Amino acid sequence: MVDASTFLSISIAGIGLGALYALVAMGFSLIYKVTGVLNFAQGQLALLGAYGVVIFATPTVLGLNLPAVVAVLATIVGGLLLGIILERVVFRHFIGEPVLSVIIVTLALGGIITGLLRFLVGPNFMSYPAALNPGWSIDLPLGTSIGASFTLGVVLSLVVVVSLMLFFRYTVTGSILRAAAADEQAAMVLGVSIERTIIIAWALSIAITSIGGILLAMASGGAGFTIEAVGIIIFAAVVFGGLDSIPGAFLGALVVGLLQEYGSFYATDVIGPGAGEILPMVFLLVVILVKPRGLFGTERIERI
Amino acid sequence: MPCGEYFTSYGSRMGLFRWRIQRIALVLGLPIPFLAPLAVQGGLLSTITQIYIFAIAVLGLNVILGYAGEIVLAQGAFMAIGAYATTQILADGLAGVQIGLLPAIMIGGVLAAFVAIMFGIPSFRVKGFYIAISTLALQFISEWFFNNGQFEWLHGGTQQAVPAEVGLIGQWFTITGSDMQLYFISLVLMLLFALISLNLSRSGMGKVFRAIHDNDLSAAVLGVNVFRNKLLAFGIGGFMIGVAGGLFGYYIGFISPSYFTLELTLQHYVMLLFGGLGRVWGALLGVGIVTAIQEFLDRFLQSVAANATSLEPVFFGVIIIVVLAVEPKGLLAALGQLKDYLRKWPFAY
Repeated sequence: MVDASTFLSISIAGIGLGALYALVAMGFSLIYKVTGVLNFAQGQLALLGAYGVVIFATPTVLGLNLPAVVAVLATIVGGLLLGIILERVVFRHFIGEPVLSVIIVTLALGGIITGLLRFLVGPNFMSYPAALNPGWSIDLPLGTSIGASFTLGVVLSLVVVVSLMLFFRYTVTGSILRAAAADEQAAMVLGVSIERTIIIAWALSIAITSIGGILLAMASGGAGFTIEAVGIIIFAAVVFGGLDSIPGAFLGALVVGLLQEYGSFYATDVIGPGAGEILPMVFLLVVILVKPRGLFGTERIERI
Repeated sequence: MPCGEYFTSYGSRMGLFRWRIQRIALVLGLPIPFLAPLAVQGGLLSTITQIYIFAIAVLGLNVILGYAGEIVLAQGAFMAIGAYATTQILADGLAGVQIGLLPAIMIGGVLAAFVAIMFGIPSFRVKGFYIAISTLALQFISEWFFNNGQFEWLHGGTQQAVPAEVGLIGQWFTITGSDMQLYFISLVLMLLFALISLNLSRSGMGKVFRAIHDNDLSAAVLGVNVFRNKLLAFGIGGFMIGVAGGLFGYYIGFISPSYFTLELTLQHYVMLLFGGLGRVWGALLGVGIVTAIQEFLDRFLQSVAANATSLEPVFFGVIIIVVLAVEPKGLLAALGQLKDYLRKWPFAY
């Protein structure tokens, strides 16, 4: 059963899927790194990105019929705006509140997004316009190939992770974000506008997550509510990589994508359908038990 | 007239009914739920029964979240475990012996408590967020598990009908699952668990839980075994949620994984946070009010449009966010502030 060609093609699919997860996971890490908010609505935000294209490109909701590329751009810009609005309206009230409140608020936000989408678009699968269903694929050795959305995902997530790392290291805004993350009060004393940094972080995070959602939808040919599940799967990735590490989130997402593909190919016979989604959960539990700080996470020291 | 309310002894401070007005309220108020079935029937009675059942589950959540301060997002999973275990035992008996409804529900609760303790083990090293995601993972695993036909030997089938005609204990006191019987069983169990919760919060155990909630590091320094007490809270809370699950399964008469989803968890969070975290009366109040709002909202939305019911989570999401932003301690604390204001009126002090 284990032959090299099958194994390789599953591995490639896993890396492709992992790269898509990586975008959503990096959105999570970015927000956690800068604001300390643990966003449980990440899956729903990805879902919103995926349905954003449907909303803009097909006349079901708004009566718009924009070309595919414009719709994608509109969705990403919408993600940026949503980040700003969410920070202004919701999360500003919860700066400095206990973890519980923030977690519950993000969960509630997830419920709001899903409910609205179910009402506006309906519970059915919405296929993407043909321009967003590219049929090409790149041939790789041993008779394997990698599909268009996975290729785009790998390229885009590599671009995002590299540019985020460069952004944090070399730009002024990036170092302001790092300063705000390291010590909010000291940064404020030095004249950093915390409000602006937090808004930037939210806008970036939601835009990246939307891209992830769009690509996830492209991988399955259209938007469906199953994308929501990515919200829990990326927890496995970010915990494994270390919560506040963006490269860690990227690596963790690749591992989780591989696990999911291996699980759904090799373990489905043993423990039944859905094994691919369960394996990352079990992995998550093991990581929490064995190495809760993950690979690159910083350990916080508590004082009384 | 004294300018405030004072307690002169520890006993009176910690009493269940501290003021004369509370004793009067008890004597006058307690018969009301027992006499209510005379006045209301049918759908309303059934809704009140559901309030009692959810109240047990929310009280269980209150022990873990309100007392010990651990965020558990597996409400649906614990209730599902209780419901499936109860159904199995009612249908097949335990080792071939019919043990009746109440023991079956209790065993379901014990199973849920066991699972809760297993998933509380990570709290040995981590807390807060990590417990939240490990229990969220449990929620997903349980939905997958109960939907998975390959584990039928263990959970007995994805969708099952719950036997309606069972003995209450053993084969005695046979009940048929009528509205009235369900009402009284749920009421008695709810009162029992409310009393247990009230007493738990007054006892040393409850104080230890609160100490861990407020600052686990300080609690550890003061000699509290944090890990053991967290597991204890998981066990007690999980038991109550499991019992509620078993009762809920018997109440619906048919169980399917779609009843025990993450949405149920969120609903219970709305109830607890709306009423007041860590307060028994808050939990009861929250369940009652939120269920009433939900019934009303359902009817209203259905009259507006057929698919408008999918907007329900939106309303609850907004309620949760507003409550947390305006009064994180819930309705009960807001009422307390109102009472304080009225007592001091017209002065501000």
